[in-house]
Amino acid sequence: MKNIFVIAKNTFRETIRDRILYGIVGFSFLYVAFSILLAKVSLGEIVILKSFGLAGIYAFGIIITIFLGASIIYKELERRTLYFVFSKPVSRLQLILGKFFGLYAAIVLVTALMTAVYLAVIGWNGGGFDALGLLSVFFELLEMAVFTALLVFFSTIATPLTSTIAAVMLLFGGHSMSSVLRTASQIGGPFYRFIQAVYYIFPNLEKFDIRSLAVHHIAVSASVVALAALYAILYTAILLWLANFFLKRKEL
Amino acid sequence: MIEISHLKKFYSKRLIIDDLSFAVKTGSVFGFLGQNGAGKTTTIKMMTGIAAPDSGTITIGGKDSADIAMRETIGFMPEAPYFYDRLTGLEFLRFCGALFPRHKSDEAYAQILKDIGIYDARNRSINTYSKGMKQRLGFAQALVNDPDYIFLDEPLDGLDPLGRREIKKIILGLKTAGKTVFFNSHILYDTEEICDEIGLIHDGKLLYAGGVKEFCKGVPLEQRFVETVEEEARKPVSP
Repeated sequence: MKNIFVIAKNTFRETIRDRILYGIVGFSFLYVAFSILLAKVSLGEIVILKSFGLAGIYAFGIIITIFLGASIIYKELERRTLYFVFSKPVSRLQLILGKFFGLYAAIVLVTALMTAVYLAVIGWNGGGFDALGLLSVFFELLEMAVFTALLVFFSTIATPLTSTIAAVMLLFGGHSMSSVLRTASQIGGPFYRFIQAVYYIFPNLEKFDIRSLAVHHIAVSASVVALAALYAILYTAILLWLANFFLKRKEL
Repeated sequence: MIEISHLKKFYSKRLIIDDLSFAVKTGSVFGFLGQNGAGKTTTIKMMTGIAAPDSGTITIGGKDSADIAMRETIGFMPEAPYFYDRLTGLEFLRFCGALFPRHKSDEAYAQILKDIGIYDARNRSINTYSKGMKQRLGFAQALVNDPDYIFLDEPLDGLDPLGRREIKKIILGLKTAGKTVFFNSHILYDTEEICDEIGLIHDGKLLYAGGVKEFCKGVPLEQRFVETVEEEARKPVSP
């Protein structure tokens, strides 16, 4: 447990010193300024401001995760920094978990910063405290956990470019599987069963998208929150276990 | 005592290490010599638990190299090490030290950096270090747990003559302190001065293991090494 924390702390420290992170955070603040301007043009329509704000937090969160996560294990394998770690009493699993938690902590920190700016902008524009917006960000963080684990897994077996392409494809697929399944159910037959199998194997990221509900003040039940959290934890655990499985079999 | 017995390793069905057996006495300095690609790094990686042998055993201080607890008693410096460049030298040592059950104070890490000659750069980001400084930092992190067994992969590579002299002095100091030092090298003129025993590997096979004087038989180590390797290369390859 201690070694996971040590590796996570080191990963977090390395990540928050990455210049790419500052570049993306800089862009995210420009985006906030743009959304305020847009709200003024649309006569202070708070729905537009909320919609843009939450989508921005999500989009920048995904961009940061891709940039920082696509090479997280690959880089260590290529540069052989793992030799320092694995010649010490550290298991493969401890490394995987430490890397995941360190990267995820950095993503949570940046998301928290963006959320604080978002809440301030909404409050300043007369929208009060946006509790549902905050819940929506919590759901986004659950998705980020799955997405981070996905990148950690891919980076143990593939190059950063391949990891990025695969993760982005799964991101799009994960958000469209529910509607694809609905369409397939109308067709039926073996095609439906195939889509059903794909639906259950790949992550269903639509479970984490409550942005439109939050924007239109539609409450979310506690069971939906609990189910989404459980789904994220389970999926993340499976992906990290797979990453460990492949890393153990890798010749260093 | 380090004991290696009938060690074999394949990479993509190609035999890289072929039935390697030798022992290293406690408190001695052992130089593992061979050309590039002879199997030195693969052997040291198996000894330090980074890679697993396909067959054979390695015991270090009576513990199997696959036992994670064994790694508490060793220090390893990889060849041409890369680092977490955004950390400072001191932060990197703290990180390495914290991976052991009993880690040291900042004063102890500072002392290691002083001994190794990069104390003044301790608070500088590693990406500003020269090649020689990185080499020294790699050596420093191998000492953070006060190990009984120290494994060094090409420790003198990339160092200027003064740097090499200092590292050799530190290796001999470790020996005086009762530590066992095992190092890989293809730089032979330095090896002769500091080794009690050597092992000679060629194409994954051990050609010699024992005393330096017994191997040299009055001729310089480099000359004897070349003669032995050439003699081995002339032998017909068995089907």
